[in-house]
Amino acid sequence: MRISRSLEVWKMGTVNYLEALKLQDKLVSDRKTRKISDTLLSLQHPPTYTLGKRRTDHNLLVPETDLRKIGAELHYTQRGGDITFHGPHQAILYPIISLRDIGLGARNYVEKLELTMIELASLYGVKARAGQTGETGVWVGERKIGAIGVRISSGITSHGLALNIDPDLSYFKHIVPCGIADKEVTSLGKETEVALPAEEVIHEQLISCFARVFGFSDIIWKDDASILFDNQSIE
Amino acid sequence: MASRLWASRAASYLRISAFNRGFASVVKDFKYADSHEWVKVEGNSAVVGITDHAQDHLGDVVYVELPEVGAAVTQGGSFGAVESVKATSDINSPVSGKVVEVNEELSNSPGLVNASPYETGWIIKVEMSDNGELKSLMDSDQYSKFCEEEDASH
Repeated sequence: MRISRSLEVWKMGTVNYLEALKLQDKLVSDRKTRKISDTLLSLQHPPTYTLGKRRTDHNLLVPETDLRKIGAELHYTQRGGDITFHGPHQAILYPIISLRDIGLGARNYVEKLELTMIELASLYGVKARAGQTGETGVWVGERKIGAIGVRISSGITSHGLALNIDPDLSYFKHIVPCGIADKEVTSLGKETEVALPAEEVIHEQLISCFARVFGFSDIIWKDDASILFDNQSIE
Repeated sequence: MASRLWASRAASYLRISAFNRGFASVVKDFKYADSHEWVKVEGNSAVVGITDHAQDHLGDVVYVELPEVGAAVTQGGSFGAVESVKATSDINSPVSGKVVEVNEELSNSPGLVNASPYETGWIIKVEMSDNGELKSLMDSDQYSKFCEEEDASH
């Protein structure tokens, strides 16, 4: 017997990285106390470089001041994983879900995030695969199309996945992406032979893939994400 | 058949009970939190780590964030984190008290958490402020059952 599980999805457009982080912190806290149920944020960031908990800034190949010159921000986070870039035309999903409620451990969760991106890629005829040991993420051949970096706190997830739809890949030249030196970065746009539809369509497809992989039977769409920012005092 | 008999004899000699179906082990005399940390009580101090079930569900640990010696911990509160497969997972303390020792080996060999979660992969030693908290933890049988139920819940 399958219990029906619903997912609240917020489609948020372009969101500044720190704002998204503060929002996730609040949502994680609300999810822990069961004030909210499983939630998914779908968004993009302006050009932003981020580091994980291990602070692997030796993989940043240019000084931070250079990043500001090209209009990008740099942030240190508590997520797992190495350095990466987020920017326009890259689809990001931040699931705030309870792994304990569905009996998943970190490894299985990450595998399902990989599967979500692999399924999306296949919609466009792109044969993607999960990375080998130590190369978490989604690959087309030896080129990386999707990245994952996750934080789990008392079984509640934050951060998530980033799938390259058609970002400006030259931003990746300033880093050793994910700490993997000899591999290229790619995008859906570069790998598919099919013309890509409007990005909004791709975002919705990615959300559907996520819901399917994680067994959510109902999706509750929330478009007005501004109410998430109102009536809270985000310090 | 003979090897299973040997295995269960060895297991009971080592006071480890093995699951019938999975392979995640527990140690009989330890206490367990529902966030998959274990406690070995030695007088007033407690050695803390994560369980075999936890390390299996995490995947290969590549980094352990340890607290400072002298830091305070509270039961159920986070005291550090482990990173595996691009996920950092907070670890919570099963007891309150003061951190008196941390396992420095984990800085060089975080994989000890996977290879030996109950022995060389221990994470912190806590001087307990309230032994009574141990009552709210599970024993090895309760914990084994808890894991089975959790794994079956999807």
